[in-house]
Amino acid sequence: MATLLSVEDLTKYFSGLVALDRVSFEIREGEIVGLIGPNGAGKTTLFSIIAGSQAPTSGKISFEGRDFTRVKPFRAVHEGIARTHQIPKPFLSMTVHENVEVGLRFGRDRRARNLENEALEILELVGIPSLARMPAAALSVGDLKRLELARTLAARPRLLLCDEVCAGLTESEMQSILGLLRRIQALGTTVIYVEHNLRAIVSTCHHVIVLNFGKKLAEGPPEKMQNDPAVIEAYIGKKT
Amino acid sequence: MTVVDFLNLLIAALLLAGTYAAMAVGMTVIYGVMKIVNLAHAGFLMMGAYFVYELHERAGINPLVAVVLAFPVFYFVGMIVHWALGRGVPVSDTPTLASLLLMFGLWLVLQNVGYLVWGTDDRAILTPMTFATIRFGEITIPKIGLVVFASAVVSLAALEFVLHKTWFGRSIRALIQNRYSCRIVGIPVERTARLTFGLGIAFAGAAGGLLALLYPFSPDFGRPFLLRSFVIIVLGGLESFSGVFVGSLILALVETFSILIVPSSYQPAISFSLLVIALIVLPGGVAGFVARRRRLA
Amino acid sequence: MVRALPPLLLLGVLAILPLSDLGPNSVKVLFLTFVAVATSVGWNILGGFAGQVSFGFAVFYGLGAYTTAVGINLGVSPYATYPLASAVAAVASLLVGLPTFRLRGPYFAIATIGVSEATRVIMTNLEFTGGASGYRITEHVPFRQIEHYYTGLALASLAVAVSIIVRRSRFGLGLRAIRDDQEAAADIGVNPYAYKLGAHAIAAALTGAAGGVYARYAAFIDPEGVFGFPRSVGILLMPVIGGVNTISGPVIGGGVYGVIEEELVARFPQLHLLLYGVLVMLIILFEPGGVIGLLQRARRLALRRKVASWQPS
Repeated sequence: MATLLSVEDLTKYFSGLVALDRVSFEIREGEIVGLIGPNGAGKTTLFSIIAGSQAPTSGKISFEGRDFTRVKPFRAVHEGIARTHQIPKPFLSMTVHENVEVGLRFGRDRRARNLENEALEILELVGIPSLARMPAAALSVGDLKRLELARTLAARPRLLLCDEVCAGLTESEMQSILGLLRRIQALGTTVIYVEHNLRAIVSTCHHVIVLNFGKKLAEGPPEKMQNDPAVIEAYIGKKT
Repeated sequence: MTVVDFLNLLIAALLLAGTYAAMAVGMTVIYGVMKIVNLAHAGFLMMGAYFVYELHERAGINPLVAVVLAFPVFYFVGMIVHWALGRGVPVSDTPTLASLLLMFGLWLVLQNVGYLVWGTDDRAILTPMTFATIRFGEITIPKIGLVVFASAVVSLAALEFVLHKTWFGRSIRALIQNRYSCRIVGIPVERTARLTFGLGIAFAGAAGGLLALLYPFSPDFGRPFLLRSFVIIVLGGLESFSGVFVGSLILALVETFSILIVPSSYQPAISFSLLVIALIVLPGGVAGFVARRRRLA
Repeated sequence: MVRALPPLLLLGVLAILPLSDLGPNSVKVLFLTFVAVATSVGWNILGGFAGQVSFGFAVFYGLGAYTTAVGINLGVSPYATYPLASAVAAVASLLVGLPTFRLRGPYFAIATIGVSEATRVIMTNLEFTGGASGYRITEHVPFRQIEHYYTGLALASLAVAVSIIVRRSRFGLGLRAIRDDQEAAADIGVNPYAYKLGAHAIAAALTGAAGGVYARYAAFIDPEGVFGFPRSVGILLMPVIGGVNTISGPVIGGGVYGVIEEELVARFPQLHLLLYGVLVMLIILFEPGGVIGLLQRARRLALRRKVASWQPS
């Protein structure tokens, strides 16, 4: 499979704090990749830099072979990278449908077309078609997460960055979201998603990257990561 | 230009800087804690000027005493205003459009109440001290300028003391840095915000009184000073106090020495131009710029 | 289509009004209201739709006014100067916006005050256009009030039409996204910088044209009047009172403002600004949606009462 995204020696300093320390990895097309690590490991920072909302201190990013190190967020979307936010950021003055419409009209495919149907299709995919006419401001947290995902999907990304999409969800909600991610991947989108729940990772991902204190700790198939002593130590602590 | 001329200008600039700092502190305090851009600051500067004027004219009170009195009076007024406008002045992480417009409305009200009460004519506070000067050899210092400068320095020093040595001051600094953590550790956010708003207005009123000793004033008094406060805060950074000192100094120096290059009628455009340039070049103000360099090192 | 009926009706009424027995003073008030509405609707495209509050729109009004004034004096047909006034204002808006739109909310607002005031000071000192004493337009055609009336009406209608087109377009959707959450908008493919510049240019063009139309009518303009801070204040008060971020809000605000201005300014000059100040504060505290917001709230209340009193048969 072709390499979709390649990150080389990515480093980010914040007021004297090292958020990312020479992180390097490659993402192959069509995979679901899990990004795990304790809180503060640098996962969200990594996403922000790939998606363009922050610039790295040093390092290189390539997307589909092109240099992607310092792109503006909207350019990244047009080229095919889109992200969801850890805490959903809906457009509160708009309805659910209008939120998705923004993604459709400003994402990778900006031609004029039948938006009404496409928006409904996406809402069905994420499981909230009945909420189309509701104001986004009236949604529950779980539904907001789905809306966030719907809007991001509407931008038709080639690479989807999902930031803790499962946080705060019940077991069944989580399963349905994971099923959704699998469906998205089957439809041709490569997915990187941040997750704390190791079982979720094992059941969905082809490949796992582990971060800790801004460094890449390990990388490989989920089963191997489960048993890697360094990974276990990062999460649970040293075995005494 | 001779050395004497240069020194005269320099001293004038320094005196001006002190006054400007006192003037801008009120806005900085309120913005730092509540992220409210207090456009009504101009209105309270003006009110302070008239407060001192009326006490002087009607009760014969020494203007400096009136300035000292202005502080608690305006502190109280500030807290009342905050209480009355409560819904529109939430303690927020980011400045809101609503608070901007609300303060603007308040400024319009204050300004025009001023016009109704005092009319459009300029007033001035004249005392025997107004035209007196002190001479050090060939260097002339206006006495009133020195007095105003000294008052400004004293009040700012008092503020620094409060900020660093009292519980209230520490709460303010904590709120400026991180509102959520404040709630967690038990700092009463709303009450501190109200006290801080009062503090900001108190400084505005007192500063207005001080400025009234130097310049003639009308109900539109606040506007050029409002803009100057913005320039200072932008130059110094809206979120730090040492920045106010730096900003005041830069503005005062530029204004004073620009007389040499620019015809006087273009003078008002100087501070405005400086403002725009500063905003473009240094979005975080000079203080922010300095802090950024230090962090990256 | 039904919703278009009341505004079209209003337009029709205004179009035939001068043919009735309207006195010259009423025509003047209406004309000034049309000009006010144009600036109000224009400002709202940036301030309401995109959420970027500018306190310095007098710059564009003044530039438009002076462009037309100088143009007419140089022999250019007035109607040719209006598009020119728009163009000058639009270019100016780019110069203002390029540096300032990189700033966060209140910094932008403050910067606009600075720009406006600096321009005023410069224009006050510019000999070429008469400086502080103002600039007179001499036209060699007789003054026909009716002509100005229809020009004003056309301008206001154009402004509203532009406003509606923007609102319904993809551009308008992007502006709404920027207003709601600029970062999220950028993260989903909207180019905030370019869009803000675009909205600014449209708003400035309308305001500039309004300045030009006014200048020809007044035949005399001065920096304090067209560039002054009170002018910027007036321009932004109208949409705030009427209801920002709506189509009809700025129109209503303009109407209210235009009428009040004429009635109050002459008799109680300070009272009208005081009134506006109080109005703004009340609006922000109790009904940020302005007059439109109040109407919507009343309608919801009436609907709720209707639903509550509904009895199944």
